[in-house]
Amino acid sequence: MESRSQETEFRIPKIGIYTGKGASHSWLWFVEIFERLGFYDLSFLTEVDLVCGGLENMDVLAVSGGDTFAIAEALGPQGANRLKAFITRGGLYLGSCAGAYLPLNSSKEHLNHFNFVPAKITNLTKTLPQNHGLKEKFCTCYGCSYIFHAVREAVEVTTSGMPPFGVSTTFTAPLYGGPPMTVTNPASVLATYTDFTHKTLFLVDRKLAEKTLLGNAAVIREKMGLGHLHLFGPHFEHPHFSEANLFLTNAMMHDLPYKTIPAENPEDGMAILAGSEKKGFIRDFKRELSNSRIVAAGLEMIPLKWTIGSKVYETGKIRVFLEALWQRIRSFERDGSILVRAGEDDRLVQTALHVTENIRQIKKGWDQKTDTLETATALFGLLNKTSALFLGIYFRSKLFHSVLENRI
Amino acid sequence: MEYLASDKIAIVDLGTRNITEDELDEDLVLDKIGGAGITKHLYDQYAVENPIVLGTGLLTGTLVPGASLGVITAKSPSTGRISHVPLNLDAGMELKYSGFDYIVIKGTADKPVYLWIHDGILDINDADDLWGKDTWAATDHIRSEMGDDLIQVLGIGQAGENGSDLAQIGINYWQSADRMGFGKLFGEKNLKLMAIRGMGLLEISEPEDFMDDCAELIATIRKNPTTQKQGIAAAAAALGEEDLGDFLDPLTHRHMACFNTPVATNTFIFTEEDPALLKESAVPEPGFLLTDIFPLIVLKKAGLSAKDAGILLKACAKYGIDGAAVAELSAKSGLTDPAEIEKSFPDLKGPVESTGGSVFSPWAAVGKEINENWERRQAVAYILGLHPIWLQIATELTEEKLLDLAGLGTEMEFTPDTLDEVIGDILA
Repeated sequence: MESRSQETEFRIPKIGIYTGKGASHSWLWFVEIFERLGFYDLSFLTEVDLVCGGLENMDVLAVSGGDTFAIAEALGPQGANRLKAFITRGGLYLGSCAGAYLPLNSSKEHLNHFNFVPAKITNLTKTLPQNHGLKEKFCTCYGCSYIFHAVREAVEVTTSGMPPFGVSTTFTAPLYGGPPMTVTNPASVLATYTDFTHKTLFLVDRKLAEKTLLGNAAVIREKMGLGHLHLFGPHFEHPHFSEANLFLTNAMMHDLPYKTIPAENPEDGMAILAGSEKKGFIRDFKRELSNSRIVAAGLEMIPLKWTIGSKVYETGKIRVFLEALWQRIRSFERDGSILVRAGEDDRLVQTALHVTENIRQIKKGWDQKTDTLETATALFGLLNKTSALFLGIYFRSKLFHSVLENRI
Repeated sequence: MEYLASDKIAIVDLGTRNITEDELDEDLVLDKIGGAGITKHLYDQYAVENPIVLGTGLLTGTLVPGASLGVITAKSPSTGRISHVPLNLDAGMELKYSGFDYIVIKGTADKPVYLWIHDGILDINDADDLWGKDTWAATDHIRSEMGDDLIQVLGIGQAGENGSDLAQIGINYWQSADRMGFGKLFGEKNLKLMAIRGMGLLEISEPEDFMDDCAELIATIRKNPTTQKQGIAAAAAALGEEDLGDFLDPLTHRHMACFNTPVATNTFIFTEEDPALLKESAVPEPGFLLTDIFPLIVLKKAGLSAKDAGILLKACAKYGIDGAAVAELSAKSGLTDPAEIEKSFPDLKGPVESTGGSVFSPWAAVGKEINENWERRQAVAYILGLHPIWLQIATELTEEKLLDLAGLGTEMEFTPDTLDEVIGDILA
């Protein structure tokens, strides 16, 4: 990796996280590691936000797992152009799993708008190999071919050791369908798949898994205009993998744009909720979150799953969203005032109420043996929406408090 | 209050629908320890408003063997005394994790309501759809509406709605040991039920030492042969009552323990299905979970078969009437046909001896004098949150050991003198 030509002052980046159509729950992992780093200037962007100029003020866009085809379709050519403009003006694109597939060269409809990176994937096949388990997560149709997933769970990766990352290191990171890649320029490779672990789950014959993964790129870095793309096959942002997290954030900090638009004052255009208003808002939101959590916990005991688009969702994924919000409620209660846009608090409570209704509908559907796919599809959309709305308020308020502290 | 508590007391005024919250003051815990010690204190504080107070012990919901108990404290319509009724099965544990340590219910709702208590939120909801339903239908309704089968329902049936002194607060579909007529208090307040579910967490001051002590304790207790027998019949025998084994064995399907209680004191009997069945029964209501020793003994003595006793107690649970009182009164009137006894429910009146002579619900001890040791062990169970039958059986759970565990869990010090004072206060 080339080193920067000038020293830059450390600053908190403005980070956009994609939460729109096709996004699964894993964007919440990005949220967690950014929060640990104190990077509170987070925005949660849907496909509409991206198309409508939501990237203009951003330093970084993080796109995590989900359904690549659905993301590409939702963004469309306009979204692709916006993304391209963002990167070429100096923005940093962090793509993990589905987010890594998105900007790779492809001739397939919708994906062909995102031909930003000339890397190839090594898990593309005309003939599907024999599957050894987790059939529903094994492969995805790709035109006349298939993308297959040789293994899942923790794999070993080794970094290339190029500056500024010092010596090569080896650690583990979880692979949930992300790509193994090959590139023509070896300097683009930041890390390769080097081994499996005792936790690796083989979905194909081990020899084929070795051929598909080992020695191929797990992470690549490509330059585009003034900006960069970092593409991660495994989920380096998964909060249980601290070495992978560190690598991801070091790489991110290295490729931040030199200049950024000055930070907005978080108070601008916001209403401040305090005292009984804040208490009432938190209670109303917490009520619905609790109602949802209780049903969702019960749903985890039943063997129910849905294929939405090309992605399989188990009931356990519902609570990943809900717990991400629940674990932050306490600090929300404890900390000072809350910053909301006009009507945003009511909208959040209403959306949370719809989440509860949908989860309860799924439970009733299960009890009455009726199909719940439609409700589940709506539910996961609502979960993304509720989480993005809540976390938007949460981080805006945290940023406000940290700005206040700095002023003092 | 940082450890082993949610640090929250809810004061619910059904008349105004106003809910206020107080913190659980550490000084109050140092003074009254918890469970019935604090519910009694809160009762006294709000006595002029005839409150119903619910709470849990310091150890409820922890790994201490038998830490399953919650408690309801109120003035008994049957005895006129401030009394304490146990909340077993999973109800005590669920209350502990509901985000509230204590709940004071005062006032009277202008129309039927129910309380939905979950994760530190307490909602007063309309119960127009529930009023008139038996406890089984009401439990089904709430669980279906809320979408969760683990919700614990403390509710009344028609007995409580109609103001019977014998009305009982049931736990889900089953009988509690409410001998005190607390179901009538719910009815008077237009309170159909309380639905409780908690997914909270408890902080323990010294978690590793606490866990080690609990593990050591259970290993010691397991050496006691009495603690190795399972089922309501064995529990009755362990309390010195008649062994109900021969009576119940032909119908016994399975035993069921209350939360984290090493001895299963509840037994499910099949009255409408072969008890040897090892798959889910196709019969909608194959039998009944026997949770209460007292009525079983009386019904057996009155000459009912185990099957008829089971059928009758199921009817009692649905109607929300104390099975022990029904057993006593039907024995006096010479009725033995469950259907006939069920028809008499609306007209049954006390007084009954089954309320016992103590402020605690008697589990058994039919016709026997409540002795001092029994009463003290009950008090310890109700203060610290231990299963009251289990505590009678597990003599290894000494007061000293339990106070040590409470101290280890809370970073506070509880002395035998404090315990004596709290017990004295409860029994006064």
